[in-house]
Amino acid sequence: MMPQSSMIDLLSATRKLPASWWPNELTPGVAAALATAFLPLMLNDYQLQVMWVAFYLAVLAISWNLVAGYGGMFSLAQHALATIGGYSSAAAVLALGLPVWWGVVCGGLAAALLGYLLGHATLHLRSLYFAIATWVFAEVARQLITINYEITRGAMGLQVPYLFSTLDPIAYFYLFLGLLLVAFGASAILLRTKLGYRIQAVRDDEELAIANGVNAARAKRTIFAMSAGMAGMAGAMYGHAVGLLAPSQADFSQMSLIIIAAVLGGYRTLWGPIIGAILIQAVAEMLRFSQEGRLVIFAALLIVVFRLYPQGVMGALKILATLLRRRRQAEGKTQ
Amino acid sequence: MQLLLQSLTLALLNGAIYALMAMGITFIASIMRIINWSTGEFYMVGSFAHLALLTVIFPALGLTLPMAWLLSALLAMGLVFVLGMVVQRTLIAPMHRPGTQAFEYATIMTVALSVLLQNGAIMIAGPNQYSVPDYMRPILLEDLEIVLNGSRVASGLAALAIILLFYVLLYRTSLGLAFRGIAQNRLAAETAGLNLKTMDMLAFGIGTGLCAVAGALLAPVFLVHPLNGAAATMKGFEIIVIGGIGSLGGAVVAAFGLALVEGLGATFYRAELQQLYGFVFLIGFLVFRPQGLFGHRERRV
Repeated sequence: MMPQSSMIDLLSATRKLPASWWPNELTPGVAAALATAFLPLMLNDYQLQVMWVAFYLAVLAISWNLVAGYGGMFSLAQHALATIGGYSSAAAVLALGLPVWWGVVCGGLAAALLGYLLGHATLHLRSLYFAIATWVFAEVARQLITINYEITRGAMGLQVPYLFSTLDPIAYFYLFLGLLLVAFGASAILLRTKLGYRIQAVRDDEELAIANGVNAARAKRTIFAMSAGMAGMAGAMYGHAVGLLAPSQADFSQMSLIIIAAVLGGYRTLWGPIIGAILIQAVAEMLRFSQEGRLVIFAALLIVVFRLYPQGVMGALKILATLLRRRRQAEGKTQ
Repeated sequence: MQLLLQSLTLALLNGAIYALMAMGITFIASIMRIINWSTGEFYMVGSFAHLALLTVIFPALGLTLPMAWLLSALLAMGLVFVLGMVVQRTLIAPMHRPGTQAFEYATIMTVALSVLLQNGAIMIAGPNQYSVPDYMRPILLEDLEIVLNGSRVASGLAALAIILLFYVLLYRTSLGLAFRGIAQNRLAAETAGLNLKTMDMLAFGIGTGLCAVAGALLAPVFLVHPLNGAAATMKGFEIIVIGGIGSLGGAVVAAFGLALVEGLGATFYRAELQQLYGFVFLIGFLVFRPQGLFGHRERRV
């Protein structure tokens, strides 16, 4: 919990927004995205494929970090919302015959709508119950997709059309790079709006925020639905990039992967989820273990890092930066 | 009639083991105010420890005991009790550090732990299913013309005995009094001189130990494999929400209730929906009565 004084700062800030809507973090973000855009010149097709999967995981981790890290709503349904986005898009494309891009939009909207309803039903619960309720939602979604195999083809997997006519990973690399930039920019900007300050005030002390006139329930629902929409759209794009949907995408291990990526990189930081997702994908490629071996390494890595630096890699970097600054100051004094 | 009796008895026996599992989760939740998401993995570790003791270590030592399965299940419980205490002390206790949100910290840590244990078990034991020798021969009740699975009867009775022992611990000893005090109000209990650090460690050990013994007792029925904890976790969560998080009596009642509904539903309605009955109850309770059957609000000092 934050000290009270900074709480009050946050609340007064809801009345006085920063002068510029452009967040400081967004400039290096755009620069990094531009630099990454030249990577295909150096990488082969396989590496590009690995990269865009990391970007997809990063988008999911960003959307979860928005809800759990910044909003204080410890949801365990992000992976299920992404899966629902994927299946909704498939329904729009296969059953209604809409173009694939419209399917992606439908997937995002369907997930946002379900997220809004889920939030409406569960956000008044205490955190213990809320975590269980979202976990149940995810499990029910997975089981329903598996059971209704006449429609979803169950565990066999549902084939869906590709987004692009080419299978060249460069197209998907740029697609997910763009999505990642949009997700990063959107959450950075969102956190500087009134809604962004409100949700952070609610996270730090809900009763105090309500006493200061914040409609906590509405702020939480809105953020939850936005994050669900982000996850759903990413899930729909992923489905059309791989060409196959399966209920295993709503498996709890996928949720653990999202948590590992976000927390390893830095919980409640903007860059953390991206760093974490790229880090674990890089570790996975370097070690070339079986799927289980990778998960063991990720989990062990997370336990060690989180035990020592609860702020993850970003926290470690911050500590390093402060140490360097202090040393420089000390040197300045001695000279 | 036989069918009804048979499914009723099986449901009662299942209920006892569900109850062990759910009590493990709800006890930790009531003392530490966290959910242990690696519950299922401690269950799995318990069943593997039981398997190793029963099929490798006992024969290697040349032990041939009449009730070896019970001894090995209890030993597995003891092992996981110690493991749970070590895990709590090293990984979960830091949740009380200043500036840390305890619930978030514990959730992240136990989710990571569950990934580690589950996939570690797959790496070590392979994705195989192992079985243990039956605890007892099938029981034939000739008057009623029912055949009962002997292992189920044996493990159900053992589970009932452990539940009784746990109740004695909670309601007839000073340690139990301390636990009940902490469950009512942590701050007041600490003011009264209880060492919460030690008590948290003990509670986590006991909770995981209960899950482990459930895993060991269920080994002949649900087999031993690295993913057997997942189904058990699901049941455990359904039961604690129905019974009310933190309420042990609620967990026992809900466990038997759920086992009955599942058993009868699978026999007389549709078997493929067996896994979903619990979910229906769970959602109903979360929406209409989130405190569960017997849950109550925490008392303040």
